[in-house]
Amino acid sequence: MTWTDEELVAKSIRGDADSFNELVLRWERPIYALAYRTIGREEDARDVCQETFLRAFRALPGFRGQAKFSSWLYRIALNLCRDWIRRERRTPVVQPPEDVDLLELAAASEPTETIEDLVARQDLSRVVERAMALLPEEQRTAIVLKEYHGLTFQEIADLVGCPLSTVKTRLYQGLTVLRRELAKNPRTKGPIL
Amino acid sequence: MTDMLCGYANRDETIVAFLYDELEPEPRRDFNAHLLTCTVCRDEVVGLRAVRTSLARWEPPALTSLQSPVSETNRSAWWHAVPAWAQVAAALLFLGVSAGIANLDVRYDQNGLNIRTGWMKPAAPKLATAQTNEGGTKLVTDQSTAGAPWRADLAVLEGQLRAELRASQASPQTVRAASSSDAETLRRVRVLLDESEKRQQRELALRIAEVVRDVDTQRRADLRNIDHTLGLVRNDLGVEVMKQRQSLNLLYRASQRQ
Repeated sequence: MTWTDEELVAKSIRGDADSFNELVLRWERPIYALAYRTIGREEDARDVCQETFLRAFRALPGFRGQAKFSSWLYRIALNLCRDWIRRERRTPVVQPPEDVDLLELAAASEPTETIEDLVARQDLSRVVERAMALLPEEQRTAIVLKEYHGLTFQEIADLVGCPLSTVKTRLYQGLTVLRRELAKNPRTKGPIL
Repeated sequence: MTDMLCGYANRDETIVAFLYDELEPEPRRDFNAHLLTCTVCRDEVVGLRAVRTSLARWEPPALTSLQSPVSETNRSAWWHAVPAWAQVAAALLFLGVSAGIANLDVRYDQNGLNIRTGWMKPAAPKLATAQTNEGGTKLVTDQSTAGAPWRADLAVLEGQLRAELRASQASPQTVRAASSSDAETLRRVRVLLDESEKRQQRELALRIAEVVRDVDTQRRADLRNIDHTLGLVRNDLGVEVMKQRQSLNLLYRASQRQ
């Protein structure tokens, strides 16, 4: 049987740990993707994601269901992303641990696609990522929430706390900047005009 | 990129709503009709749709599962939810009860500290002694209670703890609130940080391994190319040498005929 988020939340509040774990499994990837696309650093996005669930767990008894659980979670994650952007902290370089055999790891992670395909895919992804990094935080957040999380304009407005028309304007301006930036790159130049 | 020359009302917002299919039916009909005549808006819609197609290519790196805040240990060790003070009190109670069972007798008098245990010793006679104070009222004292005054306190404490434990078991929210004490939170955060760090180190190692593998693959491909090119050069040289020999042979034969 598949429980809804709200049912799992209610069970978690009553002390059912499995229910909260189910919520984590259900939402860890969307929250991580949101954090990564907002702050653009893999390791920090993971930390933000972890912290989001930790805070959600601690604040769960106070969750009254005024909003959807996912919106509540998105709000926590976005606040953490904003904090991170404000701090702009630098991540120290981490050395590989001594007990890890690099060659063994390399052998265990054989690619499933050709190197050319992989490179092309990663190139395109990087082009978009670089263009997104040029946007102001508000525009980037609006595009991420709309494009990758499918929120309605109203949901985004509620989440970020601004009028509906502002959300649309931010989206329009962001998409227009992206269009201009992507047109400069030969890989994405073709259909963008 | 096209310059904006169209004066359609709320143009920017309408285009965005149209792109994401959030335009009401009537405005959508109007805007569709407008697109038939306005090349500026039409080009912009096509261009922004292409942007959306490009955006779909942006993939975040893969995520290995996170450590849930509710770990297995938390679930199996129910006593972690009991407050620290209650655990200490329970430990004291346990020691007290053990001392009682062992018939522990601790005395400190002019002979110094005297500790005796065990039931084999003759217990002091339980005599109710009557004492008369200055006011003439009689105080009746049970000697066993007077010998171990902590027993009454322990009994009270035991009752109190039992009541609190019952209350905490009946109310999960109380348990949860208690579990979020600072010490517990710090411990969890430390565990999470450690795990996060290890995971990051592993991932970095994986990335390095990928780079090493890619460089190795490229190196092998380059070596193959060099080998192949050298082979071609050798072939060309061989053919050239053969031609030279044939020419020399012809010249030699011609010179002998003369």
